[in-house]
This record gives sequence, C-alpha cells and structure tokens, in this order.
Amino acid sequence: MTTRFGQRRGNLLRLWPFVPSAAVLTGLFFIPLAIVFVYSFWQVDPNLQVVPDWTLRNYAKFFGTETYLRTFLKTIAMAGLVTVSGLAVAGPFAYFLVRYVSPRWQRLILLAVVLPFWTSYLVRVYAWQAILGEKGVLNSVLLSLGLVAKPLDFLLYNDIGVFIVLLYVYFPFAVLSLYTSLERFDFTQLAAAQDLGARPDQALRRILLPQIRPGIITACIFVFIPILGEYLTPTLVGGTKGVLIGNLIVNFYRGGAFPAMAAASFLVAAVVLGLLVAFRRYLQVEDLVARG
Amino acid sequence: MAHAGDRLETMPVSPYAGLVRWLLRGWAAAVLAFTYAPIVLLVLFSFEDSRTIGFPITGFSLRWYEGLPANTPLVRAVATSVTIALVVAVVATLVGTLAAFPLVRAGIRRPNAARVLFTMPIMLPGILIGVGLLVFLAGILKVPLSLLTVIAGHLVLTMPFVVLIVSARLQSFDRRLEWAAADLGADPARTLRYVVLPLIAPAILAGALISVTLSIDEFVVTFFTVGPQLTLPIYIYTQIKFGVTPEVNAVATLVLAGTALVLGLGTLLAMLTRRALRLSRRRAGVKRSEASA
Amino acid sequence: MAPLHTRLHTRRQFLRLSAGASAGAFLAACGSSGGSTPAPAASSGSAPGAASSAPSAATSPAPQGGTLNFLTWSDHWSKDELAGVQQSTGITVNITELADNIDGFNKLSQVRGQLDLVSGDALWVPKYYDAGLIEAIDINSFQVAQQLYSIARQFDFWTKPDGYLAYPWGWSPIQIVYNPKYVSPAPDSWDALIDPKYKGRVVMENQPTDIMLFAGIATGAKDIYNMTDAELATAKDWLKQLKPNVLKLVQQNNETIQSLASEEAWLSTQNLGAPDRVKSAGGPEVMAIIPKEGTTGFIDGEMTVKGGQNQALVKPYLEAGAQAEYVAQNFIDNGRPLWNEKAYQLLVNSGKKDLADRYLYNQPELALKMRLKGPAGNTDAYISAFNEVFGG
Repeated sequence: MTTRFGQRRGNLLRLWPFVPSAAVLTGLFFIPLAIVFVYSFWQVDPNLQVVPDWTLRNYAKFFGTETYLRTFLKTIAMAGLVTVSGLAVAGPFAYFLVRYVSPRWQRLILLAVVLPFWTSYLVRVYAWQAILGEKGVLNSVLLSLGLVAKPLDFLLYNDIGVFIVLLYVYFPFAVLSLYTSLERFDFTQLAAAQDLGARPDQALRRILLPQIRPGIITACIFVFIPILGEYLTPTLVGGTKGVLIGNLIVNFYRGGAFPAMAAASFLVAAVVLGLLVAFRRYLQVEDLVARG
Repeated sequence: MAHAGDRLETMPVSPYAGLVRWLLRGWAAAVLAFTYAPIVLLVLFSFEDSRTIGFPITGFSLRWYEGLPANTPLVRAVATSVTIALVVAVVATLVGTLAAFPLVRAGIRRPNAARVLFTMPIMLPGILIGVGLLVFLAGILKVPLSLLTVIAGHLVLTMPFVVLIVSARLQSFDRRLEWAAADLGADPARTLRYVVLPLIAPAILAGALISVTLSIDEFVVTFFTVGPQLTLPIYIYTQIKFGVTPEVNAVATLVLAGTALVLGLGTLLAMLTRRALRLSRRRAGVKRSEASA
Repeated sequence: MAPLHTRLHTRRQFLRLSAGASAGAFLAACGSSGGSTPAPAASSGSAPGAASSAPSAATSPAPQGGTLNFLTWSDHWSKDELAGVQQSTGITVNITELADNIDGFNKLSQVRGQLDLVSGDALWVPKYYDAGLIEAIDINSFQVAQQLYSIARQFDFWTKPDGYLAYPWGWSPIQIVYNPKYVSPAPDSWDALIDPKYKGRVVMENQPTDIMLFAGIATGAKDIYNMTDAELATAKDWLKQLKPNVLKLVQQNNETIQSLASEEAWLSTQNLGAPDRVKSAGGPEVMAIIPKEGTTGFIDGEMTVKGGQNQALVKPYLEAGAQAEYVAQNFIDNGRPLWNEKAYQLLVNSGKKDLADRYLYNQPELALKMRLKGPAGNTDAYISAFNEVFGG
C-alpha cells in the first residue's frame, strides 16, 4: 500500500491544513483569552480601569454566595432540557427529510428551516412575546375558543418562556447536525435487520442510532454549550424568574466590573471542560470503517 | 449503496410503515409551523401604524416600508451584514473544512483533546470573547476597528461549528471508497475532488449555513469589534434609549422575502437547466445510436 | 423669518438655512478660537441672532474638510445635521453607535485616538476625565454655546481648573409612570413600586447600577454612588421586596411602552415622554410623577477625546452641528429636553410651546435637582448585591 491513506504516522508536514485555523484560533482567540484570563486575577479601580492588583477574590466570590451556584445549576438543567427536547424535535424531522423527501427538496426544506434565522433575532423574540403573553395570540385563541376561563400567565417571563424560545432558537442546529449524519445512512440496513427478525424499534435503536452518533454528539455540543452563555433570551422572555448564569455574568460587565465577569466566565468554561472530560467515552467516535 | 428516494417499497416493510410515514409528515408540518409562527407575527407587525412593536394594533399602514429607502443607515447596515456574513461563511468553511481533515486523519495522538481545542470558542460567552478581542486588537495591537475586525470576530465564532460538523462527517466516511479510487488509478487530488468532497458536501453545506446564520445576526462580539460601521443587529440594539420601531420588522420581512425569492429563482433555474441537459443528452444519445447503427 | 414649521417642511430650504447658519458660526468660531476667555462672563462677540439670519453670500467660508470620529447615541445627530455640517465645513462625520455608557467608556479606553468625540452622561464624564480619556474645553469660547441655558455652562460636576468637561446636549429625569386605572391612590414615592398590590405589574429597564441607585434613594442612602455596606444591605432588602413585583427587566424602551400600552404592566420607571408614547401605541392614559424622595436622571454631553487624531475638528463640528435649528428639530424627532435655549424659542415660534413645556424644556433648573446618572464607586459590591437579589 503506497498511498497515504493507511499510514498513521508521518512527519509534521501532513499537519499543514491545520495552519490557517490554528492561526485564527491562536491570534484571535487564545491570545485575547490569555489577556482576559490575567484580568480575572486583577481588579478594577474606582476609575473603572483594570489594574494589576493580583487577587483571587474574583473567583472566591462565586463560591461564597449560593445565588451563583443555584443559578448555574439551573442553567445546566435548562441547557440539558433544551438539548434533549431539541434532539426529540429535530430527530424525527431530519429522519423524515432524509427518508421520504427527494434530495432537491431536502435542501430547500433545510433552507426553509434556517431562513427565519436570517431575520433579526430581536424581532422574532418580540413576536414570541406577542404569542405567549397574557394579551398574546395564544391566549386570545384559547379564550375565544372557550378552552380556558382566564388567560394563561405562566408561559412568559419565567423559565417556561425561556425554555420555549431557547428551543426555538437552537433546534435548527440540531436539525443540521442530525441531517448530515442521517444523510449518508443506508436505510436498506433497516429492512435487512427486519428480515433477520428485528422489530422496527430494535432496528432503529441498534442499527440507526449508533451510526448517527457523530451527528447526535455534534448536535449536543452545538446546543448545550452555547446555552450556558445565553443572556439575551432570558432578558427578553425570562422576566425575573427565568434568569440564567449568563445574565449574572453580563451584569458585571454593565457595572464595569470586568475582572469579575472574566472570572465567572472562566469558571463556567472550566465546568464545561470538566463535563467534556468526564463524558469523553461517550464523545469518542471511532472510525467505524477504517478498522475493517 | 441505497440512498434516500430509492424505491424501497419493493422491500419488506412493517405493517405500520404507512402510519409512521403520515405521523412523520405531520410532525414535519408541525415543526415548520413552529418555525414560522413568529414570522407571521413579525410580518404582521411590520404593517402596524404605531411606533411601538406589538399589540395593541392601532391601525395598518405602509409607512415603515415607505421610509426604508430614505433610511440610508439602515439600508447600509443590512448590506454590511449580508456582506460580512458571506465573507465569513466562505472563509470559515474553507478554513474549517481544511482543519477537519488532519483532525480526523492525521493520526493525532489525542484527537479528542484537539477537538476540544476547536470547540473552546463555543464554551465561552460572547461577551468575554468580545472584550478580549477589543483589548487585544485595539488596545494592544492598535488595530483600527473596522469591518475587518468584525469579520475576525465572527470567524472565531463560526469556525468551530464548521470544523465539528465536517469532522463528524469525515469520521464516519467509508475509507474503502478512497482505496477503490486509488486502485482504479486516481491520485490523492482526484480522489479528494471526485470522491471525498462530493460525499461530504452536505456537511460542508451545513457548516456554511450555520456560519451565515450565526454571522448575520451576531451582536455581542460585533459590538466590541466594530468601528464607525453599522450592521443590522448593531443598528437595532443601539436604539436602546428610545426603542426600535416596526421599521426593523419591515427590513426583516424584506430580507426574508428577498432570500426566498433568490432561492426560489435559483431552484427554478436549476430545474430548468437539469431538464435542458437531460433533453440534450437524450438527443445526443439518439444521435450516437443512430451513428453506430 | 418664516415660522419654523413651514421652513422645516421644505428640506432643501432647511438645509440651505442651516448651512448658512453654520457657515456664519464657523466663521465666528475661526475668529474666536484665537483668544479664549476662561471666566464664565461670556464674551459679547457677535450676537447669537446674527448667526441665524439668512445666509450671506459674502461670508462663504473655506471648508475645512477632514473626518471626525464620533461615538454617540442615535439621538444626538441626524442625517440633515450631518449633511449641513458637511456642506458648510466640509467635515465628514463618522458615527460609531453607542448603547450604554459602560460600552463607550470601555471602547474609548481601548481605541483612544481612533475616536475624537464621545457622548456620555453626567457623572460618567468626570470618570472619563479622571481616567485620562478626555480633555477639558473652554466652553465660553464656543460661539454656539451662547445659545445654551446659562446653567448648562456652569455645572459644578463638569467644571475643572483647566476647563469644562463636555458640551451639554440634553437631559431627562427618571419618572415613575403609572396607569391610574389600576394604580391608586396616586403614587408619590418609590415605595409604590414595592406595594404587594402590584405583584408582577412593574416593568423597568435592565440597568443593574441604575436599579441599585433607585434602591439607594428609596432607602435614604446618603451618597447613592458610594453606599456603605450597611446602606447596601438596606438597599438589597428593598430590592428583595421589589423583585416579585417586577414583570420583567427590559432590554429596550419600546418594550416598556408596549407593556404599558397592552396593560400587561401598570407601573414603570422611564425617561420623559412616556404618556405620549403609550398613547400613540394605542394604550391608555398614563401619568408620570417624580417621587418625593427624589430621582436620578441623565444630563448628557459631548466630550473631546484626549489625543484624538482629528481633535482640531471638534470645535468646528460643534459650532456647526449644535445650532438651534438642528436642536429644535432633534427635539421634535426624539422628545426630551435639550440644553439649547435658543432652540426653545424656535419651538415656541413654530407653535410647539405646549409640547416643549410638557417635556419640561423650559425648566432646566429641574435637572439640577436630580441625582445624576453615573457609575458606582465600588461597582463590584453594587453588582454583587444586584445579582444576589435578581439571580435565578
């Protein structure tokens, strides 16, 4: 075998495709990150300038008050819930697209799902306020149909409102991730499995799901992680009850307390890293075919 | 290898297949309805007369649409946003796809650690990345803030998505196809071009779509890295003191309609081209068989 | 001089007139920039009235040209004003949009000389100065400054030994706005917001420092910008009673208006102009009061950046752009009182006296009764207190 494909070792030159992205990451991400990391150990003077006054206070603060821990745990729970729900919503949708729709229409429908997200986020969420609010469309419909006696006031300005809108904002990412995995799946395997006596759900669970695992994992990463930093959605539809950790972090910025903001952000990122390490066995995707 | 759209009806199916298909169809319709419900209201509010978006509606008027051509900052902001999104999509897709290959195939000792490095920009709140970029680019490097710094910021945010989605696709790529191509005499470049890329195209497309989506509405990082330019989200969010008016609904509606129009025309064009090609091929085939007869 | 409203209706006439006005002002600025009088006793110079007369072809100025980089809010400028400035002085103004004071402060700290002029509120201005970001100006050497109310040139919080810290633009107090249909008796104090009767009916803007300031005023803190730990604790308790009443902390002002208009909310804290806006949004009649304990508010102005690349263009720009005609139009467009006294006269002359008076335009001394918007001294403590109350 003289091709490169089977080789696993070689010189550093084969890593050349990394260079552009490595340059982007280093110059535009890691270096700025290092700077704000240092800031997280400094303090802000009364003139709102960051001064090299080394301290651990910015980090210690978050362990001293139970508000931050409570809000952070709630944010993790919300992110998890939205991720699972997003997969549940996007899964059958992507499956339907790949299995029953011709390739040309597949792309169109995918674009149709993504298209609304090219309009402004703010006005879309304003529209959700108008749907879920006490005087909103949903309540008007329910009231006029006589299904409820008085308007539902628990859909907006709380965790439920945040959940609905977060699901709305993030499920297209799940759709796109699942679609790319499902798209290459050979559906005749399911029929073959049934020939061999498997029930449909068994076939799905033991044949389909393992093969689209990369897509599922990608979907989880695209949805779960960014939600931990979300603050706009909670501000717009969370009221005072649906506050997430992102809001508390941004509040520090608004007050000019940059070191505290940096410290809080790094703590959240550290937890995410911890989760990624803890769950690495589930995240590992072996090259299923190359071994063959 | 069978693909979607093949005539699978000839294979044995479960008795519930028909029901399942209808349920899935209903689900897809429900998902699309969920996606477009707020859009309906968004368009509705663009026609409302009062300055304040939302219910109650005091009356209907076209004034927000009429005012658009005169509102040059807004029009320019939309153009800027679209330009940035396209540039970011192209660069992020190129750079990200390029990086996905060695990530999966170069035999790196700790592939998951490398993947985590690429995922890191997603892990940090945008506001931190924004502050960091501002301090580094403007404060330390003294780079003037401009569209370039904005594009740089967007690149950082979108590249991880492209890398992850393309590498996930590459991960489960059937290498034997490449080996077969090599057996048939193709060099690595041809194999890449004619075998690998077409098969991972859906992932690249998904990555590009995600990049455009993330960039066109990006506010937080843009806010820190922008100079005297306006993108649509910046225009909207800086109306904080007095609030936005339905003109942003009007702009959003036009953007939506415009994109749908472009897509519709594109699809129509593709359909017509395909039909024309098929016809010409058929005619050429007939000629050839006539010639050989 | 034709009434303002007919002049304004013909854009071209308006532009020509303002070009003439700014040309005259520009000339005056060129003339007076040579000698500056530090004493508040205004130099008589050319009477302000002369600048607003019809453009005199004889005094056409040599346009300066150049670009001015201006970081400001969208209500501090207009397309017409910039066009007029461009026409008369040749200066092109590059606007970078500003959302909140902290954003401007942060950005200027990093980009420095890339900007020339920055807008800021009241007590933020001295912070910019103390951080070495801006320079003082000689306000009385500005011809156009003669059009201002005199108290606007004498704010003690903007007066430093080497000059005045900002060119005044506008102001507004924060009022408590309420719907009399549901809120009675008529509120007169901040404590109305924590009345359990109004659970889930209060809407406020999402400004953590400002909300801490309200709490400080409501609980009688001595210096609301530097509250002691004890005062912070009392303020926190007040906020804990406020929290269940708050329906939401909004991102933008239009959300407050919409909530009041749909009667989802019955009380809110806002700048001037709410009743008008709620009415035109199809909402009910709402009333606005200033609580008896006092209130905060903003006084904003334009600050000259220290080391700005085009610093020399700041004065010509202001001389041309801050003229009464533009200010009057700005008031009509945006609806909050401005510091240009001459513009008030123009508004009165064009039949807008009622509107202007309703917005307190002719009562500028009220502004000095407000506690002014600014950053907190120990901001960490303020935000921590806020987060502990409003955290999830």
